[in-house]
Amino acid sequence: MIQTRPYEFMVSYTPQVQWIEKGGIKLLLAFFFIELGAGMFLVASLFNNLTAMAIGWFLCAVLGGGFHLLFLGKPLRFWRMLLSSGWKTSWISRGLIFVIFFLVLGLANIVLTQLAIRFTFLVFVADIFAFLTIIYGGFAMNFANGIPLWNTALLPILYVISGLLGGAEVTLGIALGSGELGVGMAMEEWIRPLLICFILLIPVYLMSVRYTSSTGKASVKYMALGKWAPLFWIAVVIMGMVLPSAVVINSYLSGLEKGTAAFIYVAIISGLIGDLATRFLILKGGIYSPLIPSSNAV
Amino acid sequence: MRWGMLINLDKCVGCYSCVVKCKQEHFFPPDVFGGRLLIAETGVYPRAIKHVYPVLCNHCKEARCVDACPTRATQRREDGIVWVDQDKCTGCRYCLMACPYQVRTYYSEEKEYYPGQGLTEFEKQGKELSPFQIGTVIKCNFCMERIDKGIKQGLKPGVDREATPACVITCPSKARYFGDLEDPDSEVSVLIRKWRPVQLHPEFGSDPSVCYVIS
Repeated sequence: MIQTRPYEFMVSYTPQVQWIEKGGIKLLLAFFFIELGAGMFLVASLFNNLTAMAIGWFLCAVLGGGFHLLFLGKPLRFWRMLLSSGWKTSWISRGLIFVIFFLVLGLANIVLTQLAIRFTFLVFVADIFAFLTIIYGGFAMNFANGIPLWNTALLPILYVISGLLGGAEVTLGIALGSGELGVGMAMEEWIRPLLICFILLIPVYLMSVRYTSSTGKASVKYMALGKWAPLFWIAVVIMGMVLPSAVVINSYLSGLEKGTAAFIYVAIISGLIGDLATRFLILKGGIYSPLIPSSNAV
Repeated sequence: MRWGMLINLDKCVGCYSCVVKCKQEHFFPPDVFGGRLLIAETGVYPRAIKHVYPVLCNHCKEARCVDACPTRATQRREDGIVWVDQDKCTGCRYCLMACPYQVRTYYSEEKEYYPGQGLTEFEKQGKELSPFQIGTVIKCNFCMERIDKGIKQGLKPGVDREATPACVITCPSKARYFGDLEDPDSEVSVLIRKWRPVQLHPEFGSDPSVCYVIS
């Protein structure tokens, strides 16, 4: 049981609150939309799917960027992240630079694609910044060495996988909606390995954290067996893994065209909810080790 | 030069005077602390042990918060003091995540010490003398205003009261010592050699400037 009473602050396991509770929920949405949008753009740009590229760019710029700004205590000072030398050491500053480069290059690509012009090099560079946009959140959290759940090299990898997976899922939905079956089938080919990686990575990540320290063990228990266990098992496992897997297996065996569109859309929404729940639990499960000896922490 | 603090836990009586004095010195608003007292128990009666740890910003040599800050609002001075320039802070709270000691506070909203009863004279005075910006991060700064002012007056921090952090001079049991860790002749350096104190969680690799004598 995680104690949060004031007199147990840093005496017992202490969950971080600033990045998830109250206004902190905006940061969860910011990371989610930024990584989903960049993932969509990256995947869609490889198939020149303008609609998905534009929606991905919009999600990243408007929703991701907007929630990031709303989260800040002093949003009008955000430019300082660019103009200070913070990028030398700070992942938040680096992230903002990646996002801005991605948005500028992404917009240029969208406009050029609309004009039926394709500069492969420009697409390549935009995709690199899209990739960096997806991964920086994982590195930013990985930097917090007081939180064993975050301080693992698996976290950035998990975020890349989930960003690309979410992007491919939404692109699949858009492709099916617009009748582009070829792009839809290509997305299916992307989703299969990404989903397998996601399904394998979640238990590997949790197991590795579980054996890192007693605080890591407490984090994993908090997520999977404690107060948030229903969310973990229903949203992360069933909605994020089982349901999308069932659809992927079905479409692999019977072909995409034979699968009912409604079933696929449900699986896409279910997968996105699973992704959001995973991120929520990772933020919620961020627990600091106690600073002093305490029987409460054993 | 590197300012540091030594806290002798054998002398600390857990009276909270350091916590209260810190709040008074800086006019910290409600729910904002520069220093705290962590109290815990281990064991069971009749062998229960009470642990009392006064904690404050460790002013780490390899401060994670300084590296984390995207705007360089959190800075480490040449004398080792880590402080927050409130005019540069964006309130992203990344420093709070990065600090493994959790000694920073995000000032999210203005509160009254006595809700609904208006500001006390103390709070009104604090707003004039030490205004804090809502939406920024606040932390212990080793009373750097006192140190800087004292040095200008030719005083020696750790020796002269006027130039020494408020929590040190207010401690009734004289459990706290302050001085230059890089001066081998300073009282704090001499006592460190004598008492062999420990840093809190050195495994974080941040090399804190606050250390504890634990018997």
